[in-house]
Amino acid sequence: MASASSVSSAPASSAPSAPPFRQRPWVRWALPLLLLVVLVVAPLVLSEGVNETLARIGVFAVAVLGLNVVMGYTGQVSLGQIFFLGVGAYVTAYGVQNDWNIVGVFALACLIPAVAGLLVALAAARLGGLAIAMVTIALPIVGVPLAKRLSEFTGGSQGLSARFAETPEWTGLYDDQWQLYVVLVIGGLVFVLTRALVRGKYGRAFAIVRGNENVASSMGISPYRYKVLAFTIASLIGGVSGFLYMLVIQYTSPETMSFGHSIELLAAMVIGGAGSIVGSLLGGAYYVLIPELTNQVDPNLTSLLQGAILLVVLFLLPGGLASLPRALTRGRRRTRVGRGPAATPSTPSSTTGSATAEPAPTERQGHA
Amino acid sequence: MNKQFRSRTARGIAVASALALTLTACGRGDEGGGGGSRGGSASPGITDDSVTLGITTPLSGATAGPGTCTVAGVKAYFGAKNAEGGVEFGDGKTRTVEIEALDDAYDPQQAKANYDQLKDDVFAMTAGLGTPTNRAWREAAIADEVPQVLVMTGDPLFSDPEESPWQLGFVPIYQNEGEAMGELLASSTGEHKVAILSQNDDFGEGYVEGFKSAIEGSDNIEIVNELTYEATDTSVDAQITELASSGADVFFNAMSVTPLMISALQKAQQVNWTPSWFLPSNTSSPGAILEPGGAAAYPGIYSVAFSKTPAAPAFADNEDVQTYLAALKEHGDYPDPPAFPHCQWSWMVGATLEQAFAEMTEPTRENFMEALRSIEGFEAPLMLPDTSVSTGEDGQPAVSTVVVQKYNGKGYDTVETFE
Amino acid sequence: MTLLELEGVTASYGPVQVLDGVSLSVPDNGAVGILGANGAGKTTTLRAISGTVKTGGRITFDGKDIRGLRPDQVAALGIAHVPEGRGTLGDLTVRENLRVGAYLRKDSKAIEQDIDYCLDLFPNLQERIRSNASALSGGEQQMLAVGRAIMSKPRLLLLDEASLGLAPSTAKNVYDAIRRLRVESGIAMVVVEQNANLAFTLVDSATVLEVGRNVLTGTSAELKGMDEIRRAYLGG
Ligand SMILES: Nc1ncnc2c1ncn2[C@@H]1O[C@H](COP(=O)(O)OP(=O)(O)O)[C@@H](O)[C@H]1O
Ligand SMILES: [Mg+2]
Repeated sequence: MASASSVSSAPASSAPSAPPFRQRPWVRWALPLLLLVVLVVAPLVLSEGVNETLARIGVFAVAVLGLNVVMGYTGQVSLGQIFFLGVGAYVTAYGVQNDWNIVGVFALACLIPAVAGLLVALAAARLGGLAIAMVTIALPIVGVPLAKRLSEFTGGSQGLSARFAETPEWTGLYDDQWQLYVVLVIGGLVFVLTRALVRGKYGRAFAIVRGNENVASSMGISPYRYKVLAFTIASLIGGVSGFLYMLVIQYTSPETMSFGHSIELLAAMVIGGAGSIVGSLLGGAYYVLIPELTNQVDPNLTSLLQGAILLVVLFLLPGGLASLPRALTRGRRRTRVGRGPAATPSTPSSTTGSATAEPAPTERQGHA
Repeated sequence: MNKQFRSRTARGIAVASALALTLTACGRGDEGGGGGSRGGSASPGITDDSVTLGITTPLSGATAGPGTCTVAGVKAYFGAKNAEGGVEFGDGKTRTVEIEALDDAYDPQQAKANYDQLKDDVFAMTAGLGTPTNRAWREAAIADEVPQVLVMTGDPLFSDPEESPWQLGFVPIYQNEGEAMGELLASSTGEHKVAILSQNDDFGEGYVEGFKSAIEGSDNIEIVNELTYEATDTSVDAQITELASSGADVFFNAMSVTPLMISALQKAQQVNWTPSWFLPSNTSSPGAILEPGGAAAYPGIYSVAFSKTPAAPAFADNEDVQTYLAALKEHGDYPDPPAFPHCQWSWMVGATLEQAFAEMTEPTRENFMEALRSIEGFEAPLMLPDTSVSTGEDGQPAVSTVVVQKYNGKGYDTVETFE
Repeated sequence: MTLLELEGVTASYGPVQVLDGVSLSVPDNGAVGILGANGAGKTTTLRAISGTVKTGGRITFDGKDIRGLRPDQVAALGIAHVPEGRGTLGDLTVRENLRVGAYLRKDSKAIEQDIDYCLDLFPNLQERIRSNASALSGGEQQMLAVGRAIMSKPRLLLLDEASLGLAPSTAKNVYDAIRRLRVESGIAMVVVEQNANLAFTLVDSATVLEVGRNVLTGTSAELKGMDEIRRAYLGG
């Protein structure tokens, strides 16, 4: 948090005398409270279909969040995130089928992918650069046949079904409502913890490693250790998303972790906004909603439409959807500057280029 | 905490809240969805003059080719029927049949999402391709009591009425195909040594299981060597070489990978091994596999089938085939000659559904399932002689009979004996 | 008192040995230059000190053997490395880059003061405080790299070709600021330079490396007077 304060205390362009609406103290409390209330109420009043969609968004938002930890925040290209989702899903399915305690199953669904991630990272992070990417590519490519092969645990190519987390009687809830609540609680917790992580000292170290490994070393930050740490956390979060995947989808098969999905997760992360918490959420929404949307338009052209949407979004918003407010602010600021007198005079030498470099830092910069 | 940052968070929260409130405003309308149909009243997706069927199948990605066919055939079938006014149901009403198809890209997760999206709008789900993609929502369909019928998977689970009360597979299970080949071989008068190569998964196992059960107790057949390979292997040269040394005159190759099948056909010739081959139906295409593999060098290439191949000269003037090709073009959004047998199978699914509709006395899903399960010996259009649709047999898909065919250098001819 | 002492230091990249017994001695508050042609091993010597290359021989800092320590351990002892090519964090702002330098520090009040000091030392940075580092000019980036190193409150600063790629006037500005820093803070320095003239404005003594060995060592005054130095590095 310390670092964030420094950014705020920057001699910002003449501060307005009264704090703007959004910064009044009661607003600061009221908004998160409102969000919380909405999150509690929404599953009760939304239709089954919407609840199911929201739950799926939650699953993939968590997966994208994990990817963001290693890629968005630490700058290490990982093409293997779907593998950890798959491992988490298989562990969950296997545990449920064998009637293990569900809390224990959850712990294992976090732990086993995390350990797998740790082992891979210990080997891969030494290599650095694109080598990590190459190693992570191998994960889903090896994972699919491995899942087919280990049919004793995985059900082979026919996969595993598991229904669990039955809606408790006393809640009086429908299945979709209960599932969404579980996703909201577990997913919400992961988001809150990850946010704290990337805003804190570790997050700063991640950002430095991403920025320049030599600098990190000279700053007393071991790039190797932090890369391994980020990768392990990403794998753990991937495992959580796998657990949620089983909760919501209730079925997993080798196709769950096919390489294509890893690329789709990556696209979702970039579209949502790399190195952004809100972006992870938007990425999850993108992952789930875009196939639905393109299916509505023309089921025969889904991949074509998805590619087109990807290009359009990246072209208009290279920083991803999370950068939309900033892009809008910038646009507004520009027009204001254009209108003249009201605008804060910028440094004489500053051109449009330097003016654009000035607006509010991106989220990731804010806590680096 | 940083002011700009906090304002950004606030904005994010505000947006999220607004979004959630908007969604909330939509409200939970009727609570009936997905709860299964209740006594007597019509199930979702059916009215007095129309019925809607849902399909989730791969329309993009590696399996888009056959996936597209699974939609095209049934769409063409009912498109043609609708043009004539509709289909007559057992309750005396005539309904048009609408198809709602969604792409799942062979992703189980997406298939489940598609099912969730369709389940309240469609009367039944049908025709979709893929084992994992159908398995992904099988349990949900059972819980929701939504029919998932005549789906294109060789997985026997869908044809087990105990396990899968709301399901029925359409195409023969792997065992059916292997069994038909074994039976033909067993009926031969000569002595035969058999070499077996199979894919190390449920596909290969199913084939071998069916084949072995058919030759069991036949003294004239001896299995001299049996090897496996992984679906991800890039070469089976070593296996072919080893099997060649067994001196077998019959080669049963349960292989589902097209390039591997081609190279296997080539490799065996290289090592001067020319047995008769038995190939699965999905890796026996004359144009795509046998020709490039140089299959003419072998005394016999056998496979199985239950549908007519429109491209074969023998069926060029066949009335069934003519009607089918015309409808595919006009109503199936499929202007080209069908590249996969799934187009024909999907057409047969349409005909089978029509059979079931004709037996339905109530517009409910339960009644539909009953009607569907009572079809016996129905010779659907495009079916080869000696094959038929029978839905009443426990543990068997709608089509469990196949005929063995032999490659004639261009296409296939049905054969009665192995020579 | 000697702060840093290198004796017979060797270093290799994989099988290739590039330092073949380098010695160097930096007194408390002292500044020592390392001169030499391209490829002589200057950068590698700094890497040997900061622990980013495999080394042999003896390296002591403040009387403690530091050879073989990890870079982060060396940094924690108070040795700050301004690497060749600057290495600023492009997508962080100037202020954030400076804060990064203070990563290991816990005294957040003093950190703010030190940022102000850096900005005072390099007024150009003050103007660009909210710009992304990637938007800075070469000179500004060099200043930022030095500023970031200072932010860790080091006892020893390793400077690698701070003038590289800068216009002569900018290079002079940078060295003027570093000289002021030296005077005001007493931080000891190892200064790698190809431009010997510039180096002599800052350092008290220097050593000349050739293919991984010391070939000449002396005070700035001594070296400036030597013909071979003049010919090789002073353009005359
Ligand atoms: N990372 C590296 N891997 C292999 N060899 C290197 C590496 N860095 C430098 N070298 C070699 O080591 C020698 C010394 O390089 P360096 O210390 O960078 O010289 P200087 O800084 O004096 O120009 C050169 O021959 C150079 O090619
Ligand atoms: Mg150098």
